Order: sequence, then C-alpha cells, then structure tokens
Amino acid sequence: MKATILEVFNTIIENRGNKKLESISPEMHLKYDIGFDSLDLAELTVRIEADYDIDIFEDGIVNTVGEILKKLEKK
Amino acid sequence: MNIFLKDIGNDRLVTWDYLIDDINNSSIYNSYCKSPDYYTVFKQIILTLLIDEEIILLDSDFTESELINLTGYSDFEEFIKPVDKSKIPILNNQKELLKKLNNSPRNWKITLFTSGTTGTPKKVCHDFKSITRFVKATERNKKSVWGFAYNPTHMAGIQVFFQALLNGNTIIRLFGLNTKDIYTEITNNAITHISATPTFYRLLLPYNGTVPSVERITSGGEKFNEKTFKQLNQVFPNAKITNVYASTEAGSLFASKNDIFSLRPEYESLVHFENNELLIHKSLMGRTETSIGEWYKTGDVIEIVSHKPLKFRFVNRKSEMINIGGYKVNPLEVEEAISTLKGINNVRVYSKPNSVLGNIVCCEVVANRDQVTEISIRKFLQSKIQEFKIPRLIQFVDSLSTTRTGKLKR
Repeated sequence: MKATILEVFNTIIENRGNKKLESISPEMHLKYDIGFDSLDLAELTVRIEADYDIDIFEDGIVNTVGEILKKLEKK
Repeated sequence: MNIFLKDIGNDRLVTWDYLIDDINNSSIYNSYCKSPDYYTVFKQIILTLLIDEEIILLDSDFTESELINLTGYSDFEEFIKPVDKSKIPILNNQKELLKKLNNSPRNWKITLFTSGTTGTPKKVCHDFKSITRFVKATERNKKSVWGFAYNPTHMAGIQVFFQALLNGNTIIRLFGLNTKDIYTEITNNAITHISATPTFYRLLLPYNGTVPSVERITSGGEKFNEKTFKQLNQVFPNAKITNVYASTEAGSLFASKNDIFSLRPEYESLVHFENNELLIHKSLMGRTETSIGEWYKTGDVIEIVSHKPLKFRFVNRKSEMINIGGYKVNPLEVEEAISTLKGINNVRVYSKPNSVLGNIVCCEVVANRDQVTEISIRKFLQSKIQEFKIPRLIQFVDSLSTTRTGKLKR
C-alpha cells in the first residue's frame, strides 16, 4: 500500500514540476515534510478516493503519511 | 506600541507611527498595485485615498498573459507618478490620518478584477462610499484585532482591511500561513475577529486546544457545513459565528447565524427575486464595464423559507463558476487557455466536489497523444493562468461527454 501511496504523491509532485520522493515514512508531515499546499491536498483526496474509494479528509484534515495509511488499513 | 500590521510571511511588523511617517515621506505612487507584500498593498490604498487618485489592484500571482489581457500591460513601471504634496498635509498621528480618510475622497476609486462570466475576468470599480458601506466604525470596534485571512487584492480582503483601518485596529496576517503559525498568531496577538472562507476554517480543523480571545468568526464565499460549524464552536468557545453573503460587485450584503438569511428592513426595497434568482438593485453595486440595468442578476438561486418575515437560503448558482476554496474559477476561461496549446483538439473543464476545497477543477481533453502529456499541459498553463485555475485532474478521452441536448456537461 505504501508503494501505491508513494506513486500518488509523486504524480502530484511531478505535475507541479517538483522533484520526486524516493521513499515515504509514516511520521512524514504532508505540509511541512512533503510540502503539499491546500490545492495539492485537494488533489490527493481525489486521487486516493479514485483508488481506494475513501475520502481521507472527510473527518477533518489528516497531517501525516501514517494517518493516511491508518485510514486506508481500516477500510 | 500600536501595531498597524503584523505579517510574519513577509517579516513585517509595522506600527501606526511607522505607517504615518512612511506616508509623510512618500514622494511617488503608482495607480497599478501588484505586490505580494501586504503592507505595500495597504499603504498604496491609503496613499491613493489621501491624494484622491484611483488604484487598480492586481493579484500578485497574475501571469504575464493575464496582465496583458486585463490591463493591456505587463509592466507598470511607467505609471509611477510623483505625489502631489499639496494634497496631503503632514500627518501627526493616527487620529489625523483617520479623520482625513473619512473626509470622503471624491475622485478616488478602487478597481478589482473578478471572474467574469464570458471567459476573461471583468473589472469592478468601487468608490469610497460603496466600498465602506458596511464598515462599522464604533467605540467598541476600536479594540478589535483582526486576523487577516483573505487575499489583500480581493473584495473580501479589501472589506476587512477597511473595517480594520477605519477603526484604527491591528491587522495580523493569517492568509497563506501554515496551520501551526496561524494558531500561534491568533493566540499570541489575542486576535478578536476573523473573516475567512469555509476552506480556511476547514484547514484549521481538527484542533485539540481552545482559543478564547476570538469573539467573532465570519465565513462566506461558499456554503458552510454543519460539521465545520460545530468543530469551530469547540475551538473558539467565545466566538459568535456568522455566515455572510457577498459578491465582488456588491460586497457583503446579508449575514446569518446559520444557512437561513433574512433581510434588514433597509434592504427590502433593494432586493428582489425572479424565478427564485436573487436580484440586487444597482444602487448597491460597484460600477462594472457592462451596463447592468436597474437590477443585477446575481446568478444565485434561493429557496424561500418564510414569506413574512422574508427568510431564504441559497440553493446553488445558476452560473457555471467553480468555487475553489472561495476563489472563483470560470471553466470557460480555463478551456480557452487549454485550447490554445498545439495538439489539443477539444476540452471540457468541470468541477468535482472535494472535502478540502469544496470543489476541485478537472478537465477532459481530446488531444494528439504524441504531442501533449499531462505535464506539458500543466507547464503550458502555468504561464497562462493562476495556479488555482489549473485543472488538478486531466483525463485524456476520445470524445467529450455531452448532455442529451448536445451541450457540454459540467
């Protein structure tokens, strides 16, 4: 699952013309470590929803990679 | 120390005394104002008010082609003019500045650009009277500390600016900061008032602490949902939460505690409904390039909740404008920009509901795949339109989906 999430992240990062990530870890912060802004986060929800059919931000903003993984594992 | 503006994003801490000195020492001005620095924008507005000359506000992230489209120029150096010192006496303090500002300047006007319905943004002008119509300058409001959560070159931001300015308040910039800094700024500066889009508040949640200093929270620009409302109540236990209905053309018009709006008696004759669409009388409007007739059609569809007294709620918009976290995107403008790229045969821009921003811009394109890729479209658009207008999902299709009547479906 981590690999697919990394792929989704990198699609967003590459589309914005930034350098791809080599790996991700649960403690990474979406805004501070990965550098996502609110437009990126919005795109992230749509892409994850398309793959996993779950809206990760439904109950408020998720901050770290680990929180996303937890949400997806629950499903 | 009486602070005028604190903006940690631009490393600014400006006192009212500094502002007054800076104005006294200004020898040049430019009617075109395009700057990422909030202080520069605010000072320009004040300076033009004092010398009674017009000001044209441009988003600092407008691309060169957007600027040429809107103004005919991409560079504004040549519009720098000397300040006519005979028009402003030396100001000694805040009181003198506010008094001078309140002596309604006659020729001053402010021009903003709003997403038009035809494809390119349109110009809206306001004079001092129309832009400050809703400013409440009272003894009580003099103690307010404003959290500034809008773009300073947009209507909502300008209205907050004038409310704070004419009451001699402190403005703390919150817009564009990260969540942690926003909470730090609210707490450390004991902010009392915040006006922002629902998206701004949504990005602040969830939060485990409470912020007791905030007395008033205003939200507008898109529909406010019940869940955000409840969570905000917990974070800001002392705040009264209000929804406002506003537009660039008219500024804020109605306020409500929930999604049901009622009219103040003085507006009853200035508003009416036609086929459930809200119409606003021209006397409430700023000036636009196109003549609007006696009544301006807002494109907002309402549902009457009760007739006497009149209460209503907003249902949706007639126009196809997409609301991205409070920013309006015209799908036609984006389609026009994409279709100028070589290799694109057809394009449809539409919105998808989104839990972060309310909506997200998407598009379908029919293209020669060996000529264009998702990345090449994005790169091209970055030089044409502002970032928030660029579709976040680009889908390549063989033909566009249309509705049964043959119109493109959004």
